[in-house]
Amino acid sequence: MTRTAWKFPAAAGVSLAALCCGGGAQSGAEERQVNIFVWSAYMPVELLDAFRRQTGIDYRFDLYDSNEALLEKLQSGVADYDMVVPSDYMVQILIAQRLIQPLDRSRISNLGNLEERFLDQPFDPGNRYSLPYLYGTTGIGYNREKVPEPVDSWDVLFDPRFGGRILMLDDMREAFAVALRLDGQSGNDRDPAALRRATERLKAQKPLVKAYNSGDFANILESGDVDLAQGYSGQLAEVVRKNPARFAYVVPREGGTFWMDSVCIPAGARHPAAAHALIDFFYGAEAGAKLVNTVHYASPNRTARAGIDPSILSDTAIYPTDETLGRCHLIEDLGALTTTLDESWTEIKAQ
Amino acid sequence: MSRDVPPARRSAPWLLLAPTWLTLGLLLVLPLLLMLGISFRERDVYGGLKPIEDLGATVVSGAFLANYTRSLEPIYLAIAWRSLWMAVVTTAVCLVIAYPVAYCIAAVAPPRWKTVLLGLVVIPFWTSFLIRTYAWMFLLRTEGLINTALLGSGLIGKPLELLYRDGAVLAGLVYGELPFMILPLYASLEKLDRTLIEAARDLGAGRLASFFRVTVPLTFPGIAAGVVLVFIPSLGQFIVSDLLGGAKTMLAGNLIQNQFAVARNKPFGSALAFELTAAVLLCLLVYALAVRRAGREPLL
Amino acid sequence: MSGDWVRRALAAATAAAYVFLYAPIAILILFSFNAARQTAHWEGFTLEWYRRLLSNELLLHSVANSLIVAGVTTAMATVFGTLAALALARGRFAGRAATQAALYLPVIIPEIVMGSALLTLFGAVGLRLSLATVILAHVAFSISYVAIVVRARLTGFNRSLEEAALDLGAGPVGVFTRVTLPLILPGVVAGALLVFTISIDDYIVTSFVAGVGATTLPLQIYSMLKVGVTPEVNAVSTLLLAVTVACIIIAQRLQRAPGPGRGV
Repeated sequence: MTRTAWKFPAAAGVSLAALCCGGGAQSGAEERQVNIFVWSAYMPVELLDAFRRQTGIDYRFDLYDSNEALLEKLQSGVADYDMVVPSDYMVQILIAQRLIQPLDRSRISNLGNLEERFLDQPFDPGNRYSLPYLYGTTGIGYNREKVPEPVDSWDVLFDPRFGGRILMLDDMREAFAVALRLDGQSGNDRDPAALRRATERLKAQKPLVKAYNSGDFANILESGDVDLAQGYSGQLAEVVRKNPARFAYVVPREGGTFWMDSVCIPAGARHPAAAHALIDFFYGAEAGAKLVNTVHYASPNRTARAGIDPSILSDTAIYPTDETLGRCHLIEDLGALTTTLDESWTEIKAQ
Repeated sequence: MSRDVPPARRSAPWLLLAPTWLTLGLLLVLPLLLMLGISFRERDVYGGLKPIEDLGATVVSGAFLANYTRSLEPIYLAIAWRSLWMAVVTTAVCLVIAYPVAYCIAAVAPPRWKTVLLGLVVIPFWTSFLIRTYAWMFLLRTEGLINTALLGSGLIGKPLELLYRDGAVLAGLVYGELPFMILPLYASLEKLDRTLIEAARDLGAGRLASFFRVTVPLTFPGIAAGVVLVFIPSLGQFIVSDLLGGAKTMLAGNLIQNQFAVARNKPFGSALAFELTAAVLLCLLVYALAVRRAGREPLL
Repeated sequence: MSGDWVRRALAAATAAAYVFLYAPIAILILFSFNAARQTAHWEGFTLEWYRRLLSNELLLHSVANSLIVAGVTTAMATVFGTLAALALARGRFAGRAATQAALYLPVIIPEIVMGSALLTLFGAVGLRLSLATVILAHVAFSISYVAIVVRARLTGFNRSLEEAALDLGAGPVGVFTRVTLPLILPGVVAGALLVFTISIDDYIVTSFVAGVGATTLPLQIYSMLKVGVTPEVNAVSTLLLAVTVACIIIAQRLQRAPGPGRGV
């Protein structure tokens, strides 16, 4: 990572590369570095170190906290990243704006390790530009001592009995998805009347909400500031695992959000070969298992299952059942409708 | 005895200002002009910029002002008003807290202690603003330190709701801006000629009178600098209201940040930002004119 | 009698203000030694987080980056800003209003706009993001703060002192270093402190313009906080604090040599 730190592995890397990449084939020998831009805590340093030991390729990485921040950096054209990990709807946008390049399948030998059902998503048909990295759901985490009846519907978040003890994600699309689903629509509905009803429902809910927070929701639930929290599976699963008697996570019967983050290579990447090597590394059985065991999010890597901690595999909050997944849907980008939706969101937040 | 500035002196400002102009011109004015240009454009489907088909028509029809027109809708004006109010209160509270501190350091404390005390004011701000905000959350939470202490000592029966409300946001804003009020006040108070106060007392003025009629007016530049340095950033703040306010209030800063981050509407966000800037510049202009009329020195 | 009362009240108000300032800091420090990860409950004293800190390369790297950026920025911005304040104190000249406007800009523009604007600029000219782009951005918004603070100090500045020195044969540089500078030094120091503070803690603008490997401490902390507060972050803050306090104490000791009159 630091200048001095990479001298040794780089030297090892050069000799390694010279040994095994003698011939004319395009090799990673020229590229002894890969620059990664990733969502916080998504890429364990131990794994990257293992990658460096194995291939001699050094890494540097930066963290971003929102897909939009990623988009802006890529749009500027002067960010120097070789691998990025955007969310589903952002992949769609990056493809449309030609900010990411097609992946070279020949360099990813572990491609077959991926479960087919996670491939070929609507935001990247045929997986030309992206491959699934980690996935999860959005549901409700709740305090079983304070919410005696088991939760199975989103309408519990609108229940005045829990006024002031509710947390919602500070995320426009997720909030609207909840309201739309209660109305029998999908989270991607574009019908103006349905959106208006959803806006009114969310406005009515606001006095009951203690806080909107997309980062700390699990801690806020755990610390007892709220009894019900809308949130992402990975972090809420952590809270439940620590104290299953007290907390639970559920994807309501109306359905939840299925989210998936994918690895992509920016269009102007300076070290694409190294990036491909890194992607291939992560899709190996051993690295894949270590990844899940460290970050506690679900991975579409089939072969990794053998090495994953059984308690994680059987945790339905982290690895949702097929039935649960069947009820969940991706959030798609709404294009021009985003502006209208944002106005409604402002209306809700500003009152 | 006034002297005319000798001709040789008149070129000096240019040399003194060259590095500033170079830096500000390239790194501030230029990018802001770029952003101004963006504020006249429209968001395209994916959040980029829509290419301009007909420049002439866009200018003539006034379509390029679309974002500015939109910002005058009632919902946005309401947000502006609330932000203004929050900033005014923050600045006032900051001033009230900061003045005694600055006065103490400048006038009351022994000279040896001045640097230490001044340093102590600044040191907390060399820790991360985010951490300090999280520390506040830690203090104010339902199971946080304050509630635990109060419940434990039996002073209250139920935990107080201190977090995720406007009061917490105010506390957070004041906390973040305090050194920006203390330091300029100190700089101004430090060179205050105390003999003037003594003269006022000799002439029969009470403590309060001599404070408000001698000290305060003389430290006006420091007060003004502090007010400027606190009021304006308060208008654009969004992190504090997100964290300490539970993201329940939409202030101007949140609105602008939203446009850049969530709505991916850079043109509208830029337009809002420039309006905020224009409003502030207007206030500063009014202030400068008033100051000139009163015969005092302006801020810069 | 009433003098005492006022003094006591002032001291009390000041003390209260310092308590307000240091309450979160005290918590920070205290809980960097707490064995528990999250909660308000004390689970035992430990140095574990400090140990982990020393092996957290990412965090240490970001501290180094922050110090480099803050150091360079403070040096440049203090010089440029002081010169600018001196120039503006001289009275009218062509372009004065423009200069004032330009200096107000960084204080007025919301940080998110400044960050986005700078990123757009760097993109337009093809300047690759790095630690240098962070420094450029920081200097750009810091000059104003120094200028404003030093300018406040210069108000009512007694020009005749400078003129007297010139009459006595000192060159313009001599006048500056032996008359002007000592008198404005508290303002300059205050300005420098302000800039260092702003730079080391800046998140928004930096997040836009930092390049690969140019992660500064606030950026690093923000991403760590998003996932959950680790006391390692408290530990690094405590250490930074300790180092800063040590520096100030050393600076105090070095300042023991008697200076001219007031304005220490």
